[in-house]
Amino acid sequence: MPEEEGRKRGMLDGFKSVLYGMAGHDMARYALKTRGSMEHLFILITIGDLLGIPILPPYYSLRLLPYVVPQISTWKRRMLREKDLTDALA
Amino acid sequence: MNAIVVLLIGGVAIALGYGWYAKTINRSVIQPDDKKATPAKMYMDGVDFTPANRNVLFGYQFKSIAALGPITGPIVAVQWGWLPALLWIILGTFFIGWVQDYSSIMLGVREEGQTFGALSYRFISPRARSILLTFIYFYLLLIMAAFGKIVGYDLMTNPAVPLGVLLVIGVGLLAGQMTYKWKMDIILVSVLTVVLAFVGIWLSTLTPVKGFFNNVINGAIVTTAADGTSTTTYATVFGSVTQPQFIWSLVVLVICYFGAVLPIWRWAQPINYVAFWIVFLGILAGTIGLLVWHPAFPTDFPAFTNWGGNLCAAADCSKVDPKLLPNLLALGPLWPILFVTIACGAISGWHSLVSSSGTARQLEKESDGLYVGGGAMFLEMFLAVLSLLTAVVGVGVTKGFVGYVNMIAQAKNAGVFAVGLSEMMAKIGIPTSFGLPYGSVFLTLMGLTIMYLVVRFMRVASAEFMGDRVPLFKNTTFGTIIALLLSALLIYTGFWARIWVLFGAANQLMASFIFMFVTTVAALLMTAYNVFKQVLTTPNLPIDKVIGNWLAGLIAIYLVIAALILAWDAFKAFQRLRVGEPVKA
Repeated sequence: MPEEEGRKRGMLDGFKSVLYGMAGHDMARYALKTRGSMEHLFILITIGDLLGIPILPPYYSLRLLPYVVPQISTWKRRMLREKDLTDALA
Repeated sequence: MNAIVVLLIGGVAIALGYGWYAKTINRSVIQPDDKKATPAKMYMDGVDFTPANRNVLFGYQFKSIAALGPITGPIVAVQWGWLPALLWIILGTFFIGWVQDYSSIMLGVREEGQTFGALSYRFISPRARSILLTFIYFYLLLIMAAFGKIVGYDLMTNPAVPLGVLLVIGVGLLAGQMTYKWKMDIILVSVLTVVLAFVGIWLSTLTPVKGFFNNVINGAIVTTAADGTSTTTYATVFGSVTQPQFIWSLVVLVICYFGAVLPIWRWAQPINYVAFWIVFLGILAGTIGLLVWHPAFPTDFPAFTNWGGNLCAAADCSKVDPKLLPNLLALGPLWPILFVTIACGAISGWHSLVSSSGTARQLEKESDGLYVGGGAMFLEMFLAVLSLLTAVVGVGVTKGFVGYVNMIAQAKNAGVFAVGLSEMMAKIGIPTSFGLPYGSVFLTLMGLTIMYLVVRFMRVASAEFMGDRVPLFKNTTFGTIIALLLSALLIYTGFWARIWVLFGAANQLMASFIFMFVTTVAALLMTAYNVFKQVLTTPNLPIDKVIGNWLAGLIAIYLVIAALILAWDAFKAFQRLRVGEPVKA
């Protein structure tokens, strides 16, 4: 009995996931893309301090620095990846 | 033949195709290995490369590949009879369709998630990439023309549709505002906006609303005689015009303009979200209605008409307005035209684009690929079969084959689907007075939601091609307007049936296997020959028809030349790789 219930629940979850994939997954991806663009700007502001370039670091970029560090690995991949026109279709 | 039997045949094709054939090919050829890291894991960047659950990805893939193609194609293809269309949908998907989608995904997965542009550059030649990109631009232009015309006709021929579409767009904008600005719960937003959208569609069925759109925009038919010739004109609020559907196509292009230049969260995304529910619920209600109804095929609806696709040889055309007869004779012979008329629903090059650049980068493990790529293609096959049934039993049972022929003559391809769907939904208690405009709104939204994304891409493409030489093309508004003007020119001057064939052929060329390559090149050459012949042999052809035919013919010739160059480059690359360095695994 619990096995059957588990199967039913699994099927329901599967259906819900498919529905989410059709209805909302694209929205979530666009939200991620928007966030990615924001992160690019964010990192651009703080990149000088990050590289240790001896310019006078603005107070706010020093405050922002700790928030930037966790994003660096994924940001690096996004920035350095070769892009193509057909990327716009994704 | 009963409609349920057709659905069962589709079910058996899925069981055999996916359950046995696809899995066998998968084991022996593709050999997915879950120990290999997919690009989604290897290059995870939190944006494009992100692993997703296989069910989520299945839904995403299906939504990305299913647009107007699997719905309109089968309806038009019934002109050769329902049997050839059904066979092509099932056999095309069974032997080619799923293979193409799935292998595109796996190619992307095995090649670090690279897109088709990058892959063609690497594996074939730099020239192949450039040709592919220009090819895609023309392909998108043909999508705009084919969809723009259908949507224009749909809005014109049914006055209960325009307000419904406009209100759904308004509700979509509201959904965006509620979700992103007011930060409301998505479930609440969904329920509220979908209910409002249905109220909007119901409002559009009210008599004063229909009267307004019928009298003010669409106008009454006026026939004037001058020098022994008669001209059919429509008295619209914009004056007397010969193509009132073009007014609606222009309205649609204005909507596309906003969709292409505004932030995606503000326009395209929330409207698509609300439209999705309208479409999803329509498919669900239509399927349930068909199962409850389970009608037999009407006896007068032929399984096969003739090889030439001449509808007047299969049905009485004496009551059809002679001016509309070209609509019934335009498509041409079964081979090669049927195979490009039904593109999505059997095999489509569009799928390979979205599969390689979108889905391949989100695959969590290789073994998910068949379920996502192959499974979604088989589901699209089911949608195409359902669409075929809207014409054969939905329209066939109520209006007969002659009724179908009359609707095709009047360019009511969308109307065929709307009538068919409304008849199916009527069996579960939804009145046809609501179901008919609902079906039309459904179809219009399916076209519209793709169109503004297409314009958006055309704008990006023109900036890429021309931006360095003419910096003006980097301007968002300029690039969008150029794309829209080209679309408007083709919509106004082009002949729908031929545009559809060109669109289908361009689509199939991207998916070209040997059979499809020969077929689609033949279809393109045949269409080019027909349009040039019409220009050169018809005396006093109106200037818009001259421009439209030349434009369509030149695009067809360009596509053939591009395809031949690509094929030659691909052959050379294949030889090079065969004798030289091995292909990277």
